[in-house]
Amino acid sequence: MILDLHAHSIKSDDGRAKVQNYCQWIRTRKIPIDGFVLTEHRQFDFESDYSALAAEYDIVILKGSEVETEYGHVLVFGVNESFTQAFDMTSIRLPLKDVIETADRAGGIAVPCHPGRPRVGMAAHIGTYGIPAGVRIVETFNGGSRENEDAIAQQMAREQGYRGIGGSDAHIVSHIGRCATRFNTAIHTERELVAALKSGEFEAITFKEQAA
Amino acid sequence: MTKQDTEHNIEEADIQAARGQFMNLVYDEKTFSFTAEQFAEFSRACGETAPRYTDPAHPEFQAPPTFPTSLHPDKRMPDGYPRFNGLGMDAGKAVAPIRPIRAGETITARTHVHDIYSKSGRSGRMVFSLIRMELFDQQETLLATADTSIVIREKPAS
Repeated sequence: MILDLHAHSIKSDDGRAKVQNYCQWIRTRKIPIDGFVLTEHRQFDFESDYSALAAEYDIVILKGSEVETEYGHVLVFGVNESFTQAFDMTSIRLPLKDVIETADRAGGIAVPCHPGRPRVGMAAHIGTYGIPAGVRIVETFNGGSRENEDAIAQQMAREQGYRGIGGSDAHIVSHIGRCATRFNTAIHTERELVAALKSGEFEAITFKEQAA
Repeated sequence: MTKQDTEHNIEEADIQAARGQFMNLVYDEKTFSFTAEQFAEFSRACGETAPRYTDPAHPEFQAPPTFPTSLHPDKRMPDGYPRFNGLGMDAGKAVAPIRPIRAGETITARTHVHDIYSKSGRSGRMVFSLIRMELFDQQETLLATADTSIVIREKPAS
């Protein structure tokens, strides 16, 4: 099963894509993914229910968050109220250590994204803060990466023993599915996604060359 | 001095203070009235072809949905609004059309700061001010909202 683990809809302030349009694009363009995770910026979207869209297009649509820490941006999967109540989700300076630990306690998992990106990637801050404790997975393929940003992420993953995921970081319709993550198991809920990530049985994949 | 102080010249506390002081308070009110030809001219300039926007004789003639983006308050920002240090840019506009805006109506536009927030990106930290103009008819019915986002890209602290 292939899921794009990093996408933004119009619920994010810089997102320009409606979720339905992602679904239509995936089906009409035969994008080879089975679903995607909406990781809206600095929030968790409790209110939206995409189950009807998921059924109509036979696409798995899950929800997570992308929060901002002193180490840059971090995806959180398995977000629930206990997680969102622990933080001011709008803050751009959340402590990564707290995000990781709180996500774990809430039954979720935190994953630094685009870690090779200047300013908002983990690699840019290791010189200042050191290697953070508790990181197990980083995003090694990001659809919005430029130049060597993914290569930096992959090198970091190799050196630190991190597993890698892929996500498009789509903000517009045509970018959905540019990168994704292949799992060995079927995933239909956030809980199943977290379990699959914690199992380590997955690999990051990219379709950027096909999309170019 | 905290670590954050050494990295940023805009304090998060100042953003929070601005939120408390300025958000959701109407700081500008003005009235407009438009002719049918103004709507039609705007529509044609935008490449609009639907007769309800381009033909004043059409029974459903009205302002095109994006028309409110052409309206501006007299005051750009509230009195005393903080001058965040950085490079200012227009970060986009969004319109929510709710009811038709008709030619000849007196429209009251009230403007407030709807949100102030920061985010970080490749180019550094950015502070956004979302300015919302609400348009009402003479019965105080909300016709549309027009949002303008202004972003200040922070200059890194030296």
